[in-house]
Amino acid sequence: MITIIYRLIVVYVIALVGWNMFTEKKLTMQMNCALVLIPLVLRALMIK
Amino acid sequence: MTKKNYISAAICLVVAVAVMVSTSMSFLAARELPLPEWGPSVTEVKMLSDWFDGLKDTNGDTPVYVLKGEKEGGSVLILGGTHANEVSGYMSAFTFIENAVVEQGTVYVIPYTNHSAMTHNDPSEGNLQYFTLQTKSGERTFRYGSRATNPVDQWPDPDVYIHYPSGQQLSGSETRNINRAYPGRPDGNLTEKMAYGVAELIRAEDIGITFDLHEASPEYPVINATVAHQDAMEIASEGCINLLLSGIEMSLEQSPTNFHGLTHRELGDYTDTKAILMETANASQGRLRGATTVDQVLGGQDECYLISEDLGMLYVPWDETGHPIEERCGRHLQGIYEYVTAYNNANPDKAIVYSEVPGYSELFLEADPDELGGARLGSFLM
Repeated sequence: MITIIYRLIVVYVIALVGWNMFTEKKLTMQMNCALVLIPLVLRALMIK
Repeated sequence: MTKKNYISAAICLVVAVAVMVSTSMSFLAARELPLPEWGPSVTEVKMLSDWFDGLKDTNGDTPVYVLKGEKEGGSVLILGGTHANEVSGYMSAFTFIENAVVEQGTVYVIPYTNHSAMTHNDPSEGNLQYFTLQTKSGERTFRYGSRATNPVDQWPDPDVYIHYPSGQQLSGSETRNINRAYPGRPDGNLTEKMAYGVAELIRAEDIGITFDLHEASPEYPVINATVAHQDAMEIASEGCINLLLSGIEMSLEQSPTNFHGLTHRELGDYTDTKAILMETANASQGRLRGATTVDQVLGGQDECYLISEDLGMLYVPWDETGHPIEERCGRHLQGIYEYVTAYNNANPDKAIVYSEVPGYSELFLEADPDELGGARLGSFLM
C-alpha cells in the first residue's frame, strides 16, 4: 500500500515538473526539468 | 507560453525520453541473471518458492540447485549472493555447482540468495554492472549487484529498521539487507519473505550445516574470518585448525548473541542447522579504495590499499598481489570442505561426501601469477 502511495506521489511530481517545463521561459530551466524527469519517470514505471 | 518556448520544451522532452529509453534497456537487461550450468551431480533445480509460496512470481524467488548423492546421508546448504556485490560468494556457489561430484548426502546451493539485489547496483558507488570470465565453453558474463534488495521491489525504506522478532533498531536502509532480516516472516516485506524462505528450506530439508559466503572491505575487522553460531563452534573450531594447517589464515569468532538478523545468529536460533558465515577480503567494497575496475574486483588489486597498508589501516596483509578472486573463492571452497569434514566426524550417520570441487591449492597456490584475476577461476567453470 505504501508503495502505491509513493508511486502516486511520484506521478504527481512528474505532472508538476512537466507542466513547469512547458511554461518555463528560460531554456536552462527547461533542460533542468527534463533532467529531473528522467529518474522520476523510471521510478514511476518501476524500472529503476 | 510562446511558440518558441513550446518548441524548446518539446526538444528537451524528446531528449529526456531518449535517455529514459536507453537507460531503461540497460536496467531491464540487468534483471536477466546468468545461471550456473548443470554440473555432474545436479539432480534438479527448484525455486525457493517451492518451500515458501509467498515468494512465487516475485523478484525474491531464486533458483535452488539440488546435488544429490547416490548414498543417503546428511544435507548441507550453501548460500551465495547474500550480498550481491560480494563476488566470491556467488562465484564459489557457481564453482561448486559446476564441479561437485556428490557421493553421499544432499547439497543445496543457492547462488543468488538475495535475487533482487543482483538486479541492480548501489547508486553513487561507480560499481561494475558486469564482468566476464573466459571459461571452458568460452566467454561468460556475470553480474555485479548490490548489497541490498532492489528498491524497485521494496520501497520506501523506513527511517528506522526494526528487526522482527527481536525489536533491534538499525538504520532504515538495512531493511533491504537480507542478512539483517533472518529468521524472516511470511507476511513481512520482500526481504523478510526471502529470509523466511531460506529458513523454511532449512527446516523442511533438515539441513545439518549452512554456509553463508561473504566478502568484506580490507579495513573491516571481521575479515578472513569465520563467524559461527555457538552450536556450530565445535565443528568450526576443528575445521579452522585444519584450515590453519593447510596454510589458510582464518580467525574464528562466535556469533554475538545480541546482534540480530544475521544467518549465523538467527538460523542457529530458529532452526536446527549449524550456521557458519565466512568472510574474504574484497577491495571493491572498501571506503579507502580507488576507482572500481575489473582488475580491482577480480584481481583484488588497488594502489590505494597499498598506501593504506603502509599506514596500518587494514585488517588483512596487503601487497602488489592483492587478494585475487582465486584466493577468495579458494578460501570459501576450502572452508566448506574442512567444516563439512568436521561435521561428518561429529555426525557420521549424517555425513555429506563430495569431491572434484577445486580448493585453495587448485585455485590459488598452484596457479601461475598470470592466471590470477579470473583466468584460473574460469578454467574450472563450464
